[in-house]
Amino acid sequence: MRFERITDAIGNTPLVRIDPSVHGLRTIDLYAKLEMLNPFGSVKDRAAWNMVRAGLPAAAAEDRTVIELSSGNTAKALVVLAGMHGVPFKTVTNRMRIPEIKDLLLLLGAEVEELPGQTECLDPTNTDDPLTHFHQTLTEPGSAYLYTDQYYNDRNTQAHVEGTGPEILKDLDGRAPDWFIACVGTAGSSTGVARVLREHDPRVEVVGLVSHKADFVPGIRTIDEVQEVGLFDPGTYGTIASVTADEAIDGMLTLARRCGILAGPTSGAAYFGAVRHLRELDDGPAPGRDSDPDRPAGRRTAVFIVCDRIESYLGYVRQRRPELLGRPPQPNSVATLSDAEVRGAPDIDVEEARRWIEHDRPLVVDLRSPFAYTALHIAGSVNIVDELFGELVRGGLPFSKSRPVLLACPVGEQSAKYAALLARMGHPDVRSLRGGIIAWRDAGAPLIRE
Amino acid sequence: MDVPLYLEPRLESRLASLLRARTFLHTLAGGLGSPLNVVLPDRMAENLAAFRAVYRRHYLSGGIFFAHKANRSSALVRRLAATEAAVDVASLGELQHALGSGFVPDRVMATGPKNPEFLWLAARSGTTVNIDSPVELDELAALVRDYGLPRTRILLRLSGFCTPGVRLLTRQSRFGTAEAELDGLLKSVERHRDAVELTGVGYHLDTTSPAEKAVALEGCVKALDTCRARGFTPRAVDIGGGFGTDYLADGAQWQRYTTELTNAALGTRPPMTWRRHTYGLRNENGTLRGALALYPAHRPTAGAQYLDALLSLPAPSLGRPLATLLLENLYELHTEPGRALVDQCGVTLARVLEVRRTEATDRTEPSDRGESTDRRESTDDRADNADRAEAADRTGPGHLLVRLDANADDIGLEEHGVLVDPVLVPRAAPGGAPDAGPVTCYLAGNLCLEADMITRRAVHLPSAPHPGDLLAFANTAGYCMDFSADEAQQQPVARKVAVWQDGPADGTGREDTSWHWCLDEQYWPHVNRRRKGSA
Repeated sequence: MRFERITDAIGNTPLVRIDPSVHGLRTIDLYAKLEMLNPFGSVKDRAAWNMVRAGLPAAAAEDRTVIELSSGNTAKALVVLAGMHGVPFKTVTNRMRIPEIKDLLLLLGAEVEELPGQTECLDPTNTDDPLTHFHQTLTEPGSAYLYTDQYYNDRNTQAHVEGTGPEILKDLDGRAPDWFIACVGTAGSSTGVARVLREHDPRVEVVGLVSHKADFVPGIRTIDEVQEVGLFDPGTYGTIASVTADEAIDGMLTLARRCGILAGPTSGAAYFGAVRHLRELDDGPAPGRDSDPDRPAGRRTAVFIVCDRIESYLGYVRQRRPELLGRPPQPNSVATLSDAEVRGAPDIDVEEARRWIEHDRPLVVDLRSPFAYTALHIAGSVNIVDELFGELVRGGLPFSKSRPVLLACPVGEQSAKYAALLARMGHPDVRSLRGGIIAWRDAGAPLIRE
Repeated sequence: MDVPLYLEPRLESRLASLLRARTFLHTLAGGLGSPLNVVLPDRMAENLAAFRAVYRRHYLSGGIFFAHKANRSSALVRRLAATEAAVDVASLGELQHALGSGFVPDRVMATGPKNPEFLWLAARSGTTVNIDSPVELDELAALVRDYGLPRTRILLRLSGFCTPGVRLLTRQSRFGTAEAELDGLLKSVERHRDAVELTGVGYHLDTTSPAEKAVALEGCVKALDTCRARGFTPRAVDIGGGFGTDYLADGAQWQRYTTELTNAALGTRPPMTWRRHTYGLRNENGTLRGALALYPAHRPTAGAQYLDALLSLPAPSLGRPLATLLLENLYELHTEPGRALVDQCGVTLARVLEVRRTEATDRTEPSDRGESTDRRESTDDRADNADRAEAADRTGPGHLLVRLDANADDIGLEEHGVLVDPVLVPRAAPGGAPDAGPVTCYLAGNLCLEADMITRRAVHLPSAPHPGDLLAFANTAGYCMDFSADEAQQQPVARKVAVWQDGPADGTGREDTSWHWCLDEQYWPHVNRRRKGSA
C-alpha cells in the first residue's frame, strides 16, 4: 500500500470478527469496524477531512482559522489537517474532560478555549448561553473563521454515506448486517452508515447508544444532550439504550485483553451495548426476517464501530477504576508505614531545632514545592519536594548516615512519615520538625526569601 | 408516564422531623398567618462543623464566613455567633446586624459594593474590609486618616485570572480588580500603608465549575507571592462562596424530570408547565437549542464536600493539590458559604386557600417561535405523536389549580431556578377521607396578577391538597426566604420564627422529640434552651 498523502490513508478500515468464545453469542457473528486505524486515530478523521478539505485552500489564502466545537477526536483530526495546510485551528468546548486529549491538542498546535461552567446564582433573565456566545463570535465583524459545524454539517454524515457504509457492505460480501450498533456523539457515523445499510436492506436494525445520564463516557452524549445535535434524528434508531462509564470500561477491557483491539471507552461502550442487546435476541429470529428465503436460518451478523484508541484514557480509567492500574506498594514507601511507626517518628520542636541547627548543622530538607520554598524558607535548607523525595528514597538512603537530617513540611505530618521511613532504613539521626514550617513561623523563627 | 414526575426534597433528620410535626406547624401558621418562614438555627452549627472538618482534613486554618445575604434571620446569625464561625456582610444593615448579634469585628468581613456609611462603620469598628476596587481603597484610607482610626485590615478581591495552556473562559464579573492590574493596586496599598494592613487576597466566581475556581485559587497564591516579594506579610486566601446545595432526595427523579422537560420543549410529549414555559430550552427545527435555566437541584457533591473536592484538585500550573499549595505557602483559607451553610435550616409554609380544576395547559396560546408549523419534515411524526399523547393526557383526570396564601416573591425557589416539590401538611389527621392518589397541580399565588405562579411547572403531589392544608417548601433558608419578599398589593410579608428541639444545641436532630418556637427576633442561643412556646 503506497500513498502520496497521509489523507489518502483515511478510510478503508478493516472489519474484524470478534471471537465467539469472547462474546458468547451462539447464532450471531459480531464484527468490529476498526475506525481506530484511521491515520489520526479515530472515526472522526473521515468526517473532519470531508468537512474541511474543500475550504482549506481558501482559508489558507484568506488567513482564516478553522474553528469547531469539539472535545476530542474531531479537534484532533482537524488540527492536523489544518496544520498540514498552514491554517490555524481553534476548538471551543465545555466538555473537555480528558486531560491527555487537552495536552495532545496543545502539542499538535491547537488553541483550546473552555466555556465557563453554570452560574451558581441563577439569573433567570439571562438568556445568554455559551453556544449563543460562540455563534456571536463567529459572526463578529472582522472575524475570520472556517467553521466546520460538525453537529449540523451534512458533510459529516456524507463521509460515512460514501465511506464507512459501503465498506461494511463490501466486506460482508454485499449483504447488510442484521444489526448495526453505534454510539451517538455527533450522530454523523450512525446516521450515514444507517442510511446506506437501510437503502440496501430496509430490515437492518440500528441501535444507538447514549451515555447514562448521570455518567460520562467520552465522545457520547446523554439522551438529553443528543437532542442538541442537528444531525440527530430519533427516527434513525430502532432502539436507543444507555451505557454507564463502568460498562464502557468493562467493554474496553474485553476488547483490549481478549480481542487484541486496543480501543478507548467509547468503543468499549459500543461493544458492551452490542453484546447486551444481542444476547436477548440470540435465540430469536433476525429483525424482520422470520422467513427469509435469501438467508439460511441460523447465522446472523452484527457490526459495531470501534471509534478510537485506548492510550488517551489512562487518566479516565485511573479516576474511575484505579484498581486496574494498581501496583503493589514499594518497599521503601511511606504507604508501608504502620500508624505506630509514624507516631514513633523521631521529631524535635522549633526551639530545640534552632539550637540543633546552630550546634550540629544538620542537613535541613524542606519537602514543600519549589514555589513555596522560594517564597519563604529556613536559611541554609535544601528543597526536595515530597514527590521527588519519595522517588529518591525508594532506591535507598539519599544521604550519608554520618550527616544528621532535619525534615520539614508545612505542619509536620509528611516530615514525620519520611523521618519514620528513613529511620527504618537505618539512618541514625533523622528528625521531623514538629508542627512544621507553620509552627516555625508562629514561634517567630526567621524565614527568608533569597 | 405512569409514575408521577416527583422532585422530592432532600430532608435530613431535623427538617424531616419538623415536617412530620403536623399539629405544631398548623398551630404556628394558625397563630402567625400565611406565609410563615421557619428557621432551624441548630442545624447551622452542624453545617459549620462539616466545613470545619474539611479544613482539618487538609490541615488548613482560617475563617468560615457565613454570607449573611443568604438570609436576614436574627436567630441564624445569633446562633452562629455562639460558634467559632465568622460572618461576611454586604451592607450597612447586615454589618449592624452582625455586630448586634454578637460578632466582634475580628470575626466580620465587609464585602461587595460599599456606600460611605457602610465603609465608615466597617473602618470605625475594626471590621476587615474586602476591597473591591482601587477607588474604594482610596476612600477607606482617607477615612482612616481623617478620623485617626486604627489601621484597617484589608483583603483585595481579584478577578480575570489567566490560565496556562488551555484557555479557560470565565464569565465577566463586575466586582474585583483584574489580576493583571495587581501591580497598580499594590502601589496604592503601599501608598496607604499607614492606613491599611494587607492581610490577603481573594476571589468570588459565580460558577459551579471547580476547574475555573482552581485557576483563581492558584492565581491568588501567586498574587500573594507578589505581595510578599514587595514586603507585605499577607496570610490568607479568600475563595468566596458558591459551594452549593443538594435540594433533591433522589437523583434519578431529577434525571427523569429534565429528560421529560427536554421532550416537552421539543414537543414530543405534553407540556409540563404553565403556558408551555420551557425554562430556557427551545425547539429550532426539531433540534434542541438554548440552555436549561435551572439551578442544578440535584448536586451529589455540594457544600462541605464541594470544598473538599476543590481543595483536592491539582493547581493548574504548579501541579500540587490546592490544599497542599495553600498549606506549604503558609496561608490560611477563608471561605464564605451562604446557601451551603443554611442547608436544611429553613422551611416556608403557605396555606391552601382554594383548589379547583383547570385545563392541562393553555392550548390556544400561539407559540412565539411557531415550532408547531415550522418543524422540519423528519420530525412530523414526532409532532403527531405529541398531539396524540396530549389528547390522551387531557382525557385523563385533569389538573388542579391550587391557590396559596403566599406569592412567588415569598417563596424564592422558582426565582432562583430551584425545582423541588412542596410537602403537603394536611390539616385533618390522616385516616379521614379515602386518599384518591397522586394529583398534578399548578400552584398559584395570592396576587391579582396573571404571572404570580409559585412555580411555572406542574407539581405532582402524592395526594390532593384541600383548603386549610399547608404546603411546606423545604430548604428555603438560602436566598429563597426573604431575599426578594415584599409587600406588593399590601399582602403581608411572612413572619419568621425559630424552632428547636430539646437536647444539647450541638447534638444532632432527634427524631420526633417535641418542638419549641419563638419569634425570630426574640431568639438568643442561650435562651432557647429554656422551654417556651412549646406545642
